[in-house]
Parts: sequence; structure tokens; C-alpha cells
Amino acid sequence: MTPGEAVPAHVAVTGLSKRFGASTVLDRIDLAVARGALVTLLGPSGCGKTTLLRLIAGLATPDAGHVSIAGADVTRTPPHKRNVGVVFQNYALFPHLNVGGNVGFGLSGKGLGRATIAARIGRALDLVQMGKFRDRPVTALSGGQQQRVALARALAVEPSVLLFDEALSALDRHLRETMQVELRRLLKDLGATAVFVTHDQDEALTMSDKIAVMNAGHIEQFADPLSVYARPKTLFTMRFVGISSELRGKVSARSDGQVRVETRVGAVTAQGEQKVGASVVVATRPEHVRIGGVEDAGDNCAEGQIRQITFHGSRTRLSVDVAGVEFVVEIGGVNALPAAGQAVVLRWPAACSFAYADPSAAA
Amino acid sequence: MSAAAPHGANLVAWLRSRRAGLTLAAPALFVLIFLYAAPLAHLLAGSFRGPAGFTLEAYTKVLGDAYGRSLVWNSLRLGLITTGLTLIVGYPAAFGLAMSRGVLRSLFLASLFLPLAASVIAKAFAWTILLRSHGLVNDALIFLHLTAKPIRMIFTQTSLIVGAANIFLPFMILPIYAVVAQIDPRLTEAAATLGCSPARAFLRVVLPLSAPGVVAGVALVFSLSVSAYVVPNLLMGENYPTLATTIAKAFLLIRDPALGAAAGAILMVIGLAVVVVSNRLGEQGGQGR
Repeated sequence: MTPGEAVPAHVAVTGLSKRFGASTVLDRIDLAVARGALVTLLGPSGCGKTTLLRLIAGLATPDAGHVSIAGADVTRTPPHKRNVGVVFQNYALFPHLNVGGNVGFGLSGKGLGRATIAARIGRALDLVQMGKFRDRPVTALSGGQQQRVALARALAVEPSVLLFDEALSALDRHLRETMQVELRRLLKDLGATAVFVTHDQDEALTMSDKIAVMNAGHIEQFADPLSVYARPKTLFTMRFVGISSELRGKVSARSDGQVRVETRVGAVTAQGEQKVGASVVVATRPEHVRIGGVEDAGDNCAEGQIRQITFHGSRTRLSVDVAGVEFVVEIGGVNALPAAGQAVVLRWPAACSFAYADPSAAA
Repeated sequence: MSAAAPHGANLVAWLRSRRAGLTLAAPALFVLIFLYAAPLAHLLAGSFRGPAGFTLEAYTKVLGDAYGRSLVWNSLRLGLITTGLTLIVGYPAAFGLAMSRGVLRSLFLASLFLPLAASVIAKAFAWTILLRSHGLVNDALIFLHLTAKPIRMIFTQTSLIVGAANIFLPFMILPIYAVVAQIDPRLTEAAATLGCSPARAFLRVVLPLSAPGVVAGVALVFSLSVSAYVVPNLLMGENYPTLATTIAKAFLLIRDPALGAAAGAILMVIGLAVVVVSNRLGEQGGQGR
């Protein structure tokens, strides 16, 4: 491969559309997943993320567009010939088989010897630390254990790509967070290519190399977690991936990728390229807003009154009323907490403020 | 109850500890003991009673000669063939029912339940009307020039099996449907992603998971058809004597209550065997879970 030539995607989706009756669930989706990459499809329920996953797995057929895996067009290939591993929501383990039977399910009928199959079942179970449970009935396992068995079952067939449909969402929070870290490490060690579907932004940020934020059948942004969180390309992404405090206004000046926006609390500066006169929403993340303190060059500033204080352990979240708009501020530590009702000055850097076309003004 | 078997003074405590359960079960226990168990015991005792006290004469009458054994065999044959036929027809039908939606499903269910509301006698007579020499079926065949003369259908074993299968089919479809409707469709999808063609996925996932419904349906249809009285009586009459028709004849015509009781006892043993075997199969199905 010559330098500059694009690395061919391991899983490539081009112009993929899917309709159910009158509603378009996916609208000409393009997505390329590099070999060895962990990609998350993140979005609210009904955004089409699960449908996209099912189309990649072959469990549904698209109305238009193509799916290719490892360079081969598989759009018309039935699921049992695609060599994809799927970990389903609620796991879909076979209740009539024990743990070993589930994990070995995809291995029989392939001309492998009994010893080979037994060894591969053992290896897959060891990978997920479930070796001791081989002879247990799957219905006797806890949710976390069933999740591991489902993963081992998918891994055992050595699939070309692994697909996870809300695979962790049924676990309780602590276990889910442990599994996120563990699963990412395991998949990275194996060099697996994986696509996750989730509505949980924390899970997406923790586990992915890249996140595709989906909304109403299209991809809003496809980028690494840091970019998606810190430099959201659309207001939808800004709102869905984390908390967003927003001021509405009109652009009064524009220069060097920044806009000056007149809002009800005065002029603020934000990253954006809208025309002068355009209606915009200026949004910022809670951790960029400071209470009081010294003004730095390029800071935006507004005065408000603290409405509510909620304690979140390592952080404290303040809800500040700024001229009728709710601003969410997060501060670390528990010392010198302000009190509810207190008047405060808020400062946040223009570099961490983003201007988006105002969706309510567009109509 | 083996470990907790009550002894003497413990009995009072045992009854007290189960008072709520016993109170709730009391009406059913009353009905079962006085209206079912007691007459049954009386009947069983009667099967061993002869003019000179205890005797096995009635049993030797049934099991001892060729005619008597043909009664048992006729009953078993009717049960086995009806069960096999309803299974072949009913198994796919149960899937059709489980996969149908909306109006279609309501129609399917109505077509299963409405015939249950009609008396089995009415249905058996309906078949005699359909199948007789100038019945609907023969007239249709003649009209279509498929046959010149009416085919003899009524009072043949074919009519018996067709009628019995028709009448007992709902009892095969409903238990299978109840189980099949509960099978998670994602299990077949999971099998597909693990490399199973649709046919293999059916054999390895759907078939074993539907087994409890099949066991229940087979047990129901077999025990109903092996002891059927109206169906063989109306569709075959004297040509196909079974244990059930013999019971009626023994009590009503030839006044040999011991013979009737013995035939009844044999039928009950067959029924109990079905219950025991299907329970065993059901447990085996449960162990794999």
C-alpha cells in the first residue's frame, strides 16, 4: 500500500437506507470502520442505530445501499454466511443448553474435531473468566455472567467483526462500568473490530475509538470520543453527549472562526462561522463554567443567581438562573460551596463556547 | 411429604401449619374424593368381584383371548394414529398461529375454539353426513368425475381416523402454540449469526425448545383418543370395538359390570402410563434449561 492511499475499511456501509412502512429509519448512511477499531453507534431510541447494526449483521435487508465486510460486498449475504459475532441485548442465550453448549454452538457442523471444539470452548470461556462455569445451565447465571457467556459464544466462532446491541445496558451500574473497561481491554488485546450500539453516552465515551452520533436516521458526527464531547459539530451532539447550557441570540460580528452573539445577558463570543444576523444557540459544557474568580482574556461573562445545588460525590452541580435561562455549572471539591440563592458571576472561555444555528428560529 | 410425614401429635401441628393451603384446597378435595376417587375405588373393586368373591375372571376375559386383546389394540391404534396425524398437521399449524398477527390470528384462534363449543356427538354426526354414500364428499367427487360410483368411506378406518384427528386437533395445536409463542425470536437470529442456516437453526434451537408443548399435546390427544367413545361408535360402530365402547356395552347391554370395570381399569392404566411418561419427558426437557 502506497502512502496516502486510504486504508480500506474493514466494515463499510455506503448509502444504506431502510424504511419501515412510511417511516425512513435509516437515510443514506455512510460509515467506515477500520480494522481493529471499536466504534459506537450512539443515539436516542428510535434513531436507527439498532437497525444499522442489524443490517451489518444481515438480520435485516436494506432498501438501498451496500454493506461490505473485509472488502467483500455482503449486502445480499444471509447472516449465517457473514461470519459476524453478535452479542444481543439480554444475551439471547439458548435456554436448553448449558454454558459449554452455548459457547460451542457455532462450532459444531463445521468439520472440527471434538477435541478442537472442546479446546476452543475452553479458550473462549477462559477469555471471559468463565472457565469454571462450563457445565452450568445458563438460566442459573447472574446477568453479568450471562453477558460473559454471550460474549464467549460470539468470540468462539472467531468472527470477522463483533457487533454489540445494547449488550451492557441490562447490567447494574457498577458492573456495567467494570465490564466497559474489561471489554475494551479484551477486544484491544484480541485486535477485534467491533461495533457497539448504545444510548449511554458514558459507555460510548469509555469504550470507543470512534463514536457515530446518530439522530433520526442519519449520522450527526463521526469522530473520536474527545472530539465528540469537546467539539460537538451539531447542537444535537452537544445536547446528547453531555450537558449543555444554552443562550439564544443573533450574530453581530464574525472573524477567524469566531462569532460575536448578542444575547439577553449581553454579548458573548463563541466558536462558529454563521453569518451576521443569523439566529444561533451558544452552548457550553458545565465544567468550563467558573464561579467568580478572575477574568481571563476571551472569557464570556454573565451574572446569575444559584437556584439549586446537587451533590454528585466528586463533583457538585449548580443550577444557576441567568436571566431566565438555566446554566449548569460543575465544580470539583466540597470546600467553599456557594449557597442557594446567592448571586454569582459566571465566566467561561470563548474557546469552549459553540454557536449553532438555532433550530427553533429556522422554521 | 416423605420427610415431613406427620406422626401422632405432630399431625395437629402439621395440619395447623398448612391450614391456609388446606382450606383453599378443601372444595376441590371434597369434589375429588367424593365424586371421583370414591366411585373409582368402587369401580376398581368391582372389577375383581365375581359370584364367589375375589376373581381375576374379568381381566382374563379381556386380556386372555384374541377378541379381548383386539379391544386393547384397537384403542391403542386409534390413540397412536390420531396422535401421529394431529401432530403432523398441528405442529406447523401452531407455528402459523404463533406467527400470525391481528385479524388473521383471531380467525385462526376462533377456528380452533369454536369447534370445541360444539358437542363431539354433533361433530361425529357431521362427519357421517359428509362421508356417507351420497354425502357431500362423494357427491363432489362424482361431480368432478373423479369417481363413477360413490366410494365407501363411512364405517371405514379412514373415516374413523379423519374424524378423530379433526375432533382432537385443537388439543394438539393449543399446547404447542402456547410454548412456541414464548420462544424468543432472537434465539433464531443468534443461531444465524453463529453460522446456522434457517433449517439447522430450527433443528437445533426451535425444535428442542418446542418439545414441552409437543409432549403436552401428545399426552392430551393420546389420552383423549385412546378412550374416545363417541367417535369410534358413530364413525365405525360395531366394526371397531374398543375398550371404551366395550365399557358402555358391558354396563348397558350385556350387564357384565365386572367386565366393564376391568376394561375401565385397563384404560386407566394406559392413561396413567401416558401421564408418567410425559411427566418424565417434561422433566428431562426442564433439566437442560
